[in-house]
Amino acid sequence: MSLQVIDNATCTFCGCVCDDIQLHYDETRIHKANKACVLGTAWFLNHTVEHKYPDALIDGKKASLDDAIELAATLLHEADMPLVYGMSNTTCEAQKECAALADQLGGLLDSHTSL
Amino acid sequence: MGGKVSCTLGEVKQRADFIVYWGGNPAECHPRHFTKYTLMQKSKFLPRGRKDRTMVLVDIRETKSAKASDIFLQVRPGKDFELITILRALIKDQNVSDEAIADTGLTREVLDDLVQRMKSAKFGCMFFGMGLSMTRGKHMNSAALLTLAAEMNAFTKFVAMPMRGHGNVTGADVMMRWQTGYPFGITFNRGYPRYNPGEFSTVDVLVRGDCDAAFIIGADPGGTMPQPAIDHLKRIPTIVLDPHVTHTSKLARVHITTAPQGIAAPGTAYRMDEVPLPLKPPLKSPYPTDEYVVRRINEAIMAKPFWLPDGSQPQMLTAQV
Ligand code: SF4
Repeated sequence: MSLQVIDNATCTFCGCVCDDIQLHYDETRIHKANKACVLGTAWFLNHTVEHKYPDALIDGKKASLDDAIELAATLLHEADMPLVYGMSNTTCEAQKECAALADQLGGLLDSHTSL
Repeated sequence: MGGKVSCTLGEVKQRADFIVYWGGNPAECHPRHFTKYTLMQKSKFLPRGRKDRTMVLVDIRETKSAKASDIFLQVRPGKDFELITILRALIKDQNVSDEAIADTGLTREVLDDLVQRMKSAKFGCMFFGMGLSMTRGKHMNSAALLTLAAEMNAFTKFVAMPMRGHGNVTGADVMMRWQTGYPFGITFNRGYPRYNPGEFSTVDVLVRGDCDAAFIIGADPGGTMPQPAIDHLKRIPTIVLDPHVTHTSKLARVHITTAPQGIAAPGTAYRMDEVPLPLKPPLKSPYPTDEYVVRRINEAIMAKPFWLPDGSQPQMLTAQV
């Protein structure tokens, strides 16, 4: 089967964020990441579209996405001083939503930088 | 980090003939930094590529990056701030005692040579890693190095840039600065953003046990933070968003699996020099994106009464008059 190709794809594994990677892929996985370094290649090749993990877990048990979102909202809303933390391995669009979340909760907002 | 003297990696690639890596190991942590930007590239201004550039590595031990360097300076652990301060004095021809220099583990000849090279460079760039910013002195070290870079501009063009770690941490900084005015360590508990690292930074908040819920996205503190912080995460309701079931997911009340950025989730990521780059995800994930899940949580919270005692939203100033 022939593979599809994306030119100039972006690797986000390290701070270099190389944007010249050529990815060869099919429906399930990436087979080749040209120009990427060892770290980047491992990052691209290790992810597949398999349904490896459950959609959501509540107290360690499988749960639906909707239930998990509802419970998350309730827990955060009930808290007096919720913390929103992390945001390293995610997109700027999601980070912006996180800022909105902390703002609306009157909570704390922090990233990996402060470690 | 407002007010830093910096530039893009494109300028470094085209012009920088003097490169310093301080407390970082690019050979192993940022493998393509040398080849793409700092050492190997030829340009109009540096036609001979590597031969036209000088690379200095400052670190506490000889890492793999030392092989790529022209000069390796082994500084005594925890003496980075002192060394930077000495350099700041030496570039201005101020007196520095022999004991002070010996205390950093280096010699006067080496430092004089370094200062001489820094001043005769056409375009110098200092990259600093976690070996500088996460050891004794922490952000005071980074601030000192940024000041050194700024002061070097009295003699020649000099810039400094942090070597940011994995993923989109730079994006988090940039985005928080844009949305709140501060880069990290922020609280909204008075309804407007306030900034105080040490008080509102995560490790401190968790170790003191200040917060009573945690929402963790794109990070795995369960694997990296000190034990008292992890213990507190176990005590309070923790919510985790991650493409994998992580250490933190195992101690969380709620884990939601999301699509990995850049592989199955589209969006934007910032390079370490704060250049935003679009992601081109090739795969379609069975999981939703982070952005979608956080927005859904936001909407669910919006449907509940606001946290002010009377449940009302804060009003704009114009609405009050
Ligand atoms: S390809 Fe290598 S150097 Fe480039 S961003 Fe990915 S991990 Fe970093």
